[in-house]
Amino acid sequence: MNFPLGFWDISLLTAISAIILLITSEMLSPHYGKINILINRKRLKHASITFSLIFLMTVAVKVISILTS
Amino acid sequence: MKGKLNLANMAGWITLALGCVSLTGAIIYNHQILAFIGLGLTFWGIILTYIRSEEYVKESFMDAVCLSSLEALNQLMDKLGYTDKAIYLPPKYLKEPENSKAFIPKSKFSTLPKPEQTQREDIDLFIENPEGLLITPPGNELNKLFEKTLETSFTRVDFQFLQLNLPKIFIDELEIAQDLEINMENNKICVKIENSPYVRLVKEIRKLSKVYESLGCPLSSAISCALAKATGKPVKIEKQEINEAARTMTMEYNLLEEEAP
Repeated sequence: MNFPLGFWDISLLTAISAIILLITSEMLSPHYGKINILINRKRLKHASITFSLIFLMTVAVKVISILTS
Repeated sequence: MKGKLNLANMAGWITLALGCVSLTGAIIYNHQILAFIGLGLTFWGIILTYIRSEEYVKESFMDAVCLSSLEALNQLMDKLGYTDKAIYLPPKYLKEPENSKAFIPKSKFSTLPKPEQTQREDIDLFIENPEGLLITPPGNELNKLFEKTLETSFTRVDFQFLQLNLPKIFIDELEIAQDLEINMENNKICVKIENSPYVRLVKEIRKLSKVYESLGCPLSSAISCALAKATGKPVKIEKQEINEAARTMTMEYNLLEEEAP
């Protein structure tokens, strides 16, 4: 019993998720007049930033592993 | 809302549960596609449960609550004959600088009362010599909300701070406008609010002519309170214009010079 996905697969998944969330959070920004959508924009922004950071961390891990190998 | 199913919330938890089941299946059977599905579902489950909709009140309810109190104030001002433009007093005129007060003069040519007069403890509503009404303006609480959001008191900041931070409150925090501009030229301050759903309520408040012409709508009143606190000068609302089609509001404020003692 082991997890069938590798580190690189998960990195790709977080990258796609982060892009989707970042685009959504930007599109729903009140700066573009979207002030009638009942969603907690702050939480959406936090989630998108968190996923972006997770992706960047996976990239950093990969870069470090390449450099040290 | 107790006892009522929240569909969005339930969808989030169901997606999360399905994701966990799929991930467990993927680990047991060593299945790659099941793992991708599981991760995707878990991700969207977390997102759906974390990003919930905020609590809002219906616009019609807010209009009714706001208008009835303003209507009562309008009637009072009309019956008492205090219909001239209100002057928003800076903190030095007040005993409690955290609260804002507006002075409505009886006559158009009245001067401002002295700070000693407005700071007196026994003062209730009416001021004599110059004759006028000293009341809490309709935007006092909204101004306090601005201060609470920015975690500061406008008595400790200057005009540049307001110029920088009021757009942030209106656009990002309260989400009641798409853009807000504040410009000062000599002693005139012009505020332009763009694409605001609040314009509809202002249109209704405009019918209450005495309050609207004197104290302004709660939003323009709150901005007046903030300006009086930040600049330390008495403020008068000079002009208020709304464009219903473009959903824009333009307000002009005048910073008054006090008479030398």
